[in-house]
Amino acid sequence: MSKTRTHRIDRHTDPEGPYPPTEEMLAEPIDPELRKAQGERLKKAWAMPKGWRYISAVNNSEVGKWYSLTAFGFMILAGIMSLIMRVQLAVPENDFVSADLYNQLFTMHGSAMMFLFAVPMFEAISILLLPGFLGARDMPFPRLSAYGYWAFLIGGIFVMGSILFGAAPDSGWFMYPPLATQSEGIGSDVWLLGLSFIEVASIAAAVELIVGTLKCRPPGMRVNVMPLYAWYVLVVGGMILFAFPPLIAGDFLFEMERSFDWPFFDPTRGGDPMLWQHLFWIFGHPEVYIIFLPSIAIAAMVVPTAAQRPIVGYSWIVLSAVGTGFLSFGLWVHHMFTTGLPALSLGFFSAASEAVVIPTGIQLFAFVATLMVGRVKMSLPMLWIAGALAIFTAGGLTGVMIAIAPFDWQVHDSYFIVAHLHYTLFGGMVFPLIAGIYYFYPFMTKKTMSVRLGRWAFWLLFTGFNITFLPMHLTGLKGMPRRVFTYPGDVGWDWLNMISTIGAFIAAAGFAVFAYDLLRPKGRQPKAPRNPWNGGTLEWSAETTDHGWGSRSIPYVTTRYPLWQQKGIVERMDEGRYYLPDAEEGLRETLVTSVIDAKPLQVMRVTGPAWVTLWAAAFTGGAFILPTFHIYVPAIISGVLAILCICYWLWTSTAIIPEKTKKDAGLGLKLPIYISGPGAAGWWGVFITMLGDATAFASLIFGVFFYWTASPDFPPEGSIHANWIVMAAAAALLTASWGAMLGSRQLNMNGRGDLATACLVAAPLLALAGIGAMILSVWLPGLEPTSHVYPAVMWGLVVWTSAHVGAGVIMQLYCLAAVIFGKVTPRYDAPLWNVTLFWHFVILTVLVTAAVVAALPRVL
Amino acid sequence: MTRRENVERQEFAEERASLWKLTLGPVTWAVHFAASYSLTAVWCAKLAAPQDDITLLRLIIGAGTIVALVVILLFGLSAWRQWNYTQTGRATHAFGDAENRHEFLGHAATLLCGVSFIGTLYTAIPVLVIGSCT
Ligand code: HEM
Repeated sequence: MSKTRTHRIDRHTDPEGPYPPTEEMLAEPIDPELRKAQGERLKKAWAMPKGWRYISAVNNSEVGKWYSLTAFGFMILAGIMSLIMRVQLAVPENDFVSADLYNQLFTMHGSAMMFLFAVPMFEAISILLLPGFLGARDMPFPRLSAYGYWAFLIGGIFVMGSILFGAAPDSGWFMYPPLATQSEGIGSDVWLLGLSFIEVASIAAAVELIVGTLKCRPPGMRVNVMPLYAWYVLVVGGMILFAFPPLIAGDFLFEMERSFDWPFFDPTRGGDPMLWQHLFWIFGHPEVYIIFLPSIAIAAMVVPTAAQRPIVGYSWIVLSAVGTGFLSFGLWVHHMFTTGLPALSLGFFSAASEAVVIPTGIQLFAFVATLMVGRVKMSLPMLWIAGALAIFTAGGLTGVMIAIAPFDWQVHDSYFIVAHLHYTLFGGMVFPLIAGIYYFYPFMTKKTMSVRLGRWAFWLLFTGFNITFLPMHLTGLKGMPRRVFTYPGDVGWDWLNMISTIGAFIAAAGFAVFAYDLLRPKGRQPKAPRNPWNGGTLEWSAETTDHGWGSRSIPYVTTRYPLWQQKGIVERMDEGRYYLPDAEEGLRETLVTSVIDAKPLQVMRVTGPAWVTLWAAAFTGGAFILPTFHIYVPAIISGVLAILCICYWLWTSTAIIPEKTKKDAGLGLKLPIYISGPGAAGWWGVFITMLGDATAFASLIFGVFFYWTASPDFPPEGSIHANWIVMAAAAALLTASWGAMLGSRQLNMNGRGDLATACLVAAPLLALAGIGAMILSVWLPGLEPTSHVYPAVMWGLVVWTSAHVGAGVIMQLYCLAAVIFGKVTPRYDAPLWNVTLFWHFVILTVLVTAAVVAALPRVL
Repeated sequence: MTRRENVERQEFAEERASLWKLTLGPVTWAVHFAASYSLTAVWCAKLAAPQDDITLLRLIIGAGTIVALVVILLFGLSAWRQWNYTQTGRATHAFGDAENRHEFLGHAATLLCGVSFIGTLYTAIPVLVIGSCT
């Protein structure tokens, strides 16, 4: 990088003016007239679309609400399924539902609870709350959240709907092959494609949440004073990013097997069902913590308020969150104790299971300590937290029992497991979630829920839950296996099952009371007071009338509980005496700050209401859903339309060249409106997405090594290998394309737009030639993917890589158009930075693929 | 001003202390864990028959464990210095200035190294007690 460049960029992008603000600056009064005019302009910029246009809204407050209500709706549906199962199991030899329907019911109940409720619920609530915690106007990419939501809704309805037609997946929520690969009908395809689609949406939301936490904090909120919830968002978002991709990779292999008969999991042709188990549980165990940590995050917000004092042991809680995030990945095989892995390997996983107890325990201690030194008010949310603690502790104890390998052999696949799993899920997720809803309800809706109904709901659910699941431990020890649709009457399981069924209905009544209280119209009820619990964090500064703008002005924050510890902060925010008190140009804006110290960097213009996100989601849905029915051509068309929609959306609303380079952000600070490269939120979005993508690719590579260790002849004696000369040519072409991309960025920066254009013409051509060569390298020698797993994985890697290069080509063309039509200039070059970053990851994928396909098998 | 103070000031002033530093301890644990796991998988699949003695494997993993523990210890020491507890006696870093942030990251990293240390030790326990692949 030349000196001139740094100099030029600095002049354009360095903030100008005083920072941090002094007390005198903050005390300066604001002309009431001006204040009013500012407020009006802000209100207009953030106004919600009216009437039927309402659904084009992208404000985090609306999208978050729809998202959480939808997830809640799916939970109710999954709950109804569980009641049907409980009716069926109430008496022995029952024929209320058939064996086939029962299989669909437990599969869908489990899948929906995990994929349509537990994970999305965290993301939904976080989208709703996070900007509040951070005093931000909105999430960094509002249209991305809207897109994620619509994708979730479409995918969810598709998956749930299949049960109405008796076409639902029926092989259990972890879809073990060979049962699931060979099952007739489209059930397994519904699961694989529908849920992959939802997983993609989940990852999109995770990316947005991570970037929001890293880049949209209020000025001054350094990492050591972030609300704890934000730490959990980082950790859980990171876990989603590393846990979901292996599952997506697994889905990819699985669907290839079902659609094209590539034998990844078919032992007769060298495949191995164990690979699915590995990939599933690399996802599945962290998933448990992905579900559980957000609840701890809610508790970390509720507990200090209940105790009316700052949390005890902030650093310790951060340690636990990060530590749990890591350790939980060391647990996957713990679900596979009975599968004949080396004893030593099993030992490692038992060890990790024990180790993860330490951080979990620390968090609970910190909460208890906070409550002990504070003056506790036993509020309704605290009641639910207390219930959660009791249930979760019980679930943890049975968990430790199961983690001891020999005990697991004994109770494996029995009702003991069902009981344990529900104890952890209710204690670790359902109860804390409800606590959080009671606690944050006034923030979300400006009304309060009924305390009386809340207590009723609590006691019904708490007793009902225990009556249902406590006896199940015994049912399991007496040998009743899970996932059976009925059982004989003479082995002593019948009365236990009857009790469980009665309990399930009591619990359902509790849910019903809660749902009624949540949804009943509260129009005539008075507004909730502004800070009803006297909380200390920023979300409680929200005004009692929602103007859509989040906060009137974005505060300067130096403490963990600003509402308690920074006198007068709320008044100043209201009066617009902090940052961004105005929307002069009538555009939606929020502040972007630096990652560690939250120094203001940019006034970022964020996107407003749009239909294109809805269209993009619908077409993406088509691309995933149509292949379920083996309708490929319309699926491809749908995919192309989705890509077009996304390009249109990016082109028209992101990286817009502003009318001036800098603007006044308030308090005398002038900030750039446009930045590109590592300071920008968009760059971080790409970077974080690609970390997830790289993880999925790594899972495929893991697959290759897995086959090699698991089977005595991989690659089989005398099998055909890829043509290494052609593959080397492919790698060279693609490297050249990457070089051209990088070159275009540098040249453009140095004002050589013409040469940059030339590079951008060459880059996609080179890349396309590269894809061609890569495919030829396995096609020419005649690798036959249906014949054996070895050629199938090689093809799998090539397909995966080609798809990524293909995406890279589209992006290069986008940049080419941008340079030609002046959307990119030497000064405004964010698309070039982002696409180059994408290509860094692509070239890594390419080189690894080339090495693994062409070189490795010859060595092994 | 001593040299050390000088360096420290620079770190306060700049965002040198990155979030990544927090993850060094756990990453060491993860690398050790993954390496032990893969080595065992390959060893038991390719090199040893089920009943074979695997002392060599155990020794290798044992040596790897010692290396990992030392590495974590070193990271932990550097984090401990960053925390600077012996001089300031501060364990809560609740104020939003550069010094608090700097020490907070040190504190959290120290604790994480502690957990990673224990986690790594746990991983090594099976190596002490299990003598064959099955
Ligand atoms: C009152 C509420 C609930 C009742 C009565 C209930 C009941 C059941 C029953 C009867 C089964 C099937 C047992 C079998 O045949 O193997 C089951 C499985 C399961 N449940 Fe629930 N459940 C409830 C709530 C939940 C919640 C809130 C979650 C998650 C957040 C959840 C997650 C699961 C999972 C993952 C499975 C395993 C599915 C499989 O075997 O593939 N359940 N539940």
